[in-house]
Amino acid sequence: MTAVEAARAIAARELSPVELMTALLERIGRLDPKLNVFIRLDRDAARDAAKAAEAEIVGGRVRGPLHGVPVGIKDIIDVAGLPTTCHSKILADNIAVADAVCVSRLRGAGAIVLGKLSTHEFAIGGPSFDLPWPPARNPWNPDHHPGGSSSGSGAGVAAGLFPMALGSDTGGSVRNPASACGIVGLKPTYGLVSRRGVFPLSFTLDHVGPLTRTVADNALMLDVIAGYDPLDPGSAAAPAGHYASGLERGVRGLRIGFIRHFHETDTPADPEVGAALEHVAGTLHRLGAEIRNVRVPSLEEFAAVNRVILQSEAWTIHGPWLRERPGDYGQLARRRLMAGAFVGAGDYVQASRRRLQMIEAVEDALRDVDVLLCASAMDPPCRIDKADEIARTYPRQARTPFNVTGHPALAMMAGISTGGLPLSVQFVGRCFAEATLFRVAREWERAAGTGEKHPPVM
Amino acid sequence: MDKATVELLACRAGLEKALAEFPEDVAAAAEQAGRSVTRLKAPTDPRAEPWPPMRAGAGL
Repeated sequence: MTAVEAARAIAARELSPVELMTALLERIGRLDPKLNVFIRLDRDAARDAAKAAEAEIVGGRVRGPLHGVPVGIKDIIDVAGLPTTCHSKILADNIAVADAVCVSRLRGAGAIVLGKLSTHEFAIGGPSFDLPWPPARNPWNPDHHPGGSSSGSGAGVAAGLFPMALGSDTGGSVRNPASACGIVGLKPTYGLVSRRGVFPLSFTLDHVGPLTRTVADNALMLDVIAGYDPLDPGSAAAPAGHYASGLERGVRGLRIGFIRHFHETDTPADPEVGAALEHVAGTLHRLGAEIRNVRVPSLEEFAAVNRVILQSEAWTIHGPWLRERPGDYGQLARRRLMAGAFVGAGDYVQASRRRLQMIEAVEDALRDVDVLLCASAMDPPCRIDKADEIARTYPRQARTPFNVTGHPALAMMAGISTGGLPLSVQFVGRCFAEATLFRVAREWERAAGTGEKHPPVM
Repeated sequence: MDKATVELLACRAGLEKALAEFPEDVAAAAEQAGRSVTRLKAPTDPRAEPWPPMRAGAGL
């Protein structure tokens, strides 16, 4: 059941929040031992909240559009009274004193927090087996990785453990699990969703975004979590989007720029990925969109800027722990986070100067088209136990460009590989034009039926 | 980056403990940073400004 369906059924008193919660907890009990989605399942509090929601609804008091709908929270995002471990021994005993703003907004809309979800350690690196908790696994095939760093968020939504989850995205960490797990993941425009209460990785690249099974759920969730926060220095005073209202308008008349060089020449994709992208473009063309070729700087250039900025900013956060407690990090995060010690101040400024030019290049591309279409992952997700294959395929992606530029970017299923794993596509919009992005994504979802495709093992 | 330079920079950054316990990880981190910096194409226009721009009073 999607979030929209659950919210509608609960509001109409056709579904009890307690029944929904009981069914999900049973499913979690059955499937989570295979998938490692949760770091902390807050079972009792979730049950109590479901009972309270039921009483409120019966009493005629409706909190908001997500009243009684369960949500999972990536474990770098604070939930009052629960640990925020960042999947790391470093913060194993860290208890959050207050909800992050995005969690507070979800609760204000009536959502029920189920618990805290697996991530790559401090939202960087990849699946690791040397941390206090095991890595999440892909519900399409638990021998394969689910993407990351919002790995529990992606795996849990795809497995139907909860209809929606929060993730964070600094170099693609919402869109990677969305791609690997065949769901919908949005990195909103930089500043649209408050980061207050979210453990930082890289201040100028960090975004918070929703992961859901359907485009409509994603739009509804963004409606709830978007908004200006004067206490987040990166927050933007943008107008409210009403993102869920224009979903069914179709793509007739829209101009879509296809960035083919990302997957054809910059980082040549698996042939199945390339074919899936052409199929998406062809389908949208048949539905009335104009498809044009568009060029922006190369993936290698975007990746270099992203890495220099990320490494520099992350070092300022993790330097003290890396000096005193290097052995309390897993190896992947330790290596990635120490890199900032070897980047100079001049390198950081050069990357920041190049970044502004890249923002202008993407803005230029979006002057002549409404939305960009490009690859997300260049490969289907590989086996989780093949460290070499993960190291090879994780950087083969086209997500970091839009952390560099701040434009909104949505990843979703483009098809299913011959190996039975999700293939993905990415849509990118003008800043604060998430509504147009959702409109295109919804049309593809409707045409391809991606919202109806679920992991067979589940 | 040669080994001596890596060790010098690591010590300057206060990573003596990591250098003693995880020398291969320190070397890998230095290599990652070097790769990123090498691939960075700096703007040729001397007037190119960084992002984000200075915004006096914002957030104060």
